[in-house]
Amino acid sequence: MTTKNETVIEKYSKAGRILHNIHTVAFVILFLTGLVLFIPQLAFLAQHDWTRMIHRVAAVIFILAPLTYFIVKPKAALHAVKEAFVWGKDDLGWLKAAPRYYFLSDEEGMPPQGEMNTGQKMWWFIVVVFSAVFIATGLVMLLLKNIAPPEVFQWMVFIHDVSFIVTGAMLFVHIYLGVIHPLMTEAWRAISTGVVSAEYAKSHHRLWYDEKMKKASEKDK
Amino acid sequence: MADKAILYDATRCTACRGCQAACKEWNENNELNPDGNNPVTTKNTGSYENPPDLAPTTWLKMTFTEVEHYGKLDWLFNRRSCMHCGDPACVKVCPNGTLYIDQTYGFVGLNPNTCTGCGYCVEFCPFDVPRLKGSSVLGNTKAFKCVACMQPGLNRLDAGQEPACVKSCPPNALLYDDRDKLVTIAKEKVAALKAKGFSNATFYGEKELGGLHVMYVLNDTPDKYRLPVDPKFPATAIAWQDVIQPLGWAVGGLTILGLALNYIIAREAKMTKSLPGKKEDK
Repeated sequence: MTTKNETVIEKYSKAGRILHNIHTVAFVILFLTGLVLFIPQLAFLAQHDWTRMIHRVAAVIFILAPLTYFIVKPKAALHAVKEAFVWGKDDLGWLKAAPRYYFLSDEEGMPPQGEMNTGQKMWWFIVVVFSAVFIATGLVMLLLKNIAPPEVFQWMVFIHDVSFIVTGAMLFVHIYLGVIHPLMTEAWRAISTGVVSAEYAKSHHRLWYDEKMKKASEKDK
Repeated sequence: MADKAILYDATRCTACRGCQAACKEWNENNELNPDGNNPVTTKNTGSYENPPDLAPTTWLKMTFTEVEHYGKLDWLFNRRSCMHCGDPACVKVCPNGTLYIDQTYGFVGLNPNTCTGCGYCVEFCPFDVPRLKGSSVLGNTKAFKCVACMQPGLNRLDAGQEPACVKSCPPNALLYDDRDKLVTIAKEKVAALKAKGFSNATFYGEKELGGLHVMYVLNDTPDKYRLPVDPKFPATAIAWQDVIQPLGWAVGGLTILGLALNYIIAREAKMTKSLPGKKEDK
């Protein structure tokens, strides 16, 4: 793909980006309407029905969005979920090199990365696993109140809360790395327009870039 | 001021259910109003026990249990309502102090205006007492339970009166007084019962959950009266409120702090790196 002056490569499909944005908005709403129960000074917001209703509506969207994606793009969805559980030796290399890269702009020792680098994969793993945990525990609390034994309910609340802390903290990291970090030049472009420059792909996702190029040249033949 | 309490003597109770009716009347829990929310269904289940369970508008109900003990059949009555724990799990898990220990009397109060309807109190109560009005699915719930006649505008205790249930009790099976005094009375009653041959007679509530503010004189073990024998403060409530939540704030705070630190260092590093690099860009 070539635009005016530079070669660009599609990083995220349109459907994938729509899912990302809907899921993110739903999660942020769930996060904020859940947070009011943690801050006693804000709990007055839940005295009436509306924050509770917003939490429930956002929860339904949070569940339906990925389900819809699975129906519309089953192959891409399955591939993406599998990605979260594929780990290799290079991931260890990335972890070793990451502090020097993210703090000191030193790319040395950074092993070549696939479509997702190790950090992105860790976040993606958290998203996949904890979305499932959130949905499971949330559904029990929503639908099995007074039906499930109290002990089960207590653990659901507990696990929901732990997931809230893990994903909430990591969401800050995700947004920071995507939008704010000084070295992040094309992450925002990738998720908002779907493409990255070939140069960026080559330097940051070498394995993925090579694969893409191989496929493209095979097509040409 | 010393903590107050209610003492229920099951051996004096005639199960007239005056307390049950007085509780509803004083607290304006009129379940017969067909237009009201969550009207309580009363139906014959083959027992005197009615309504079948505590409800948002039923804060006190009598239980009837047939047992065989001391070589004969007996019909045991018990008063089922909030126990007003000294160490209440509901207060621990309540997000915003809607449930609270009243500093004057020691009873556990509930303010429905601030209630967020989360329902944690329902699931964490060792005695399964609070009830939610409304639908958990729609989220328009509020929790209700006995508040020892301390409702604003209907506060009997502040007026120097005993709770409505105690006031109504014809055989004085219910007593209201300083908790210390009632503990002494209860011990004497149990000793008298034992002397009469009720060898399993029990004083229930002195130590349970930090000391209950509704205590029981029973002529047998608590389980015969459908009371939990050794009620425990749920461990999940402690793990959740005392470990996970403070940890959550620490994790969230440190994450943001770490990111800010990273920004400062990374920006500096990038600037010093890209200065000589500018030539390459050309």
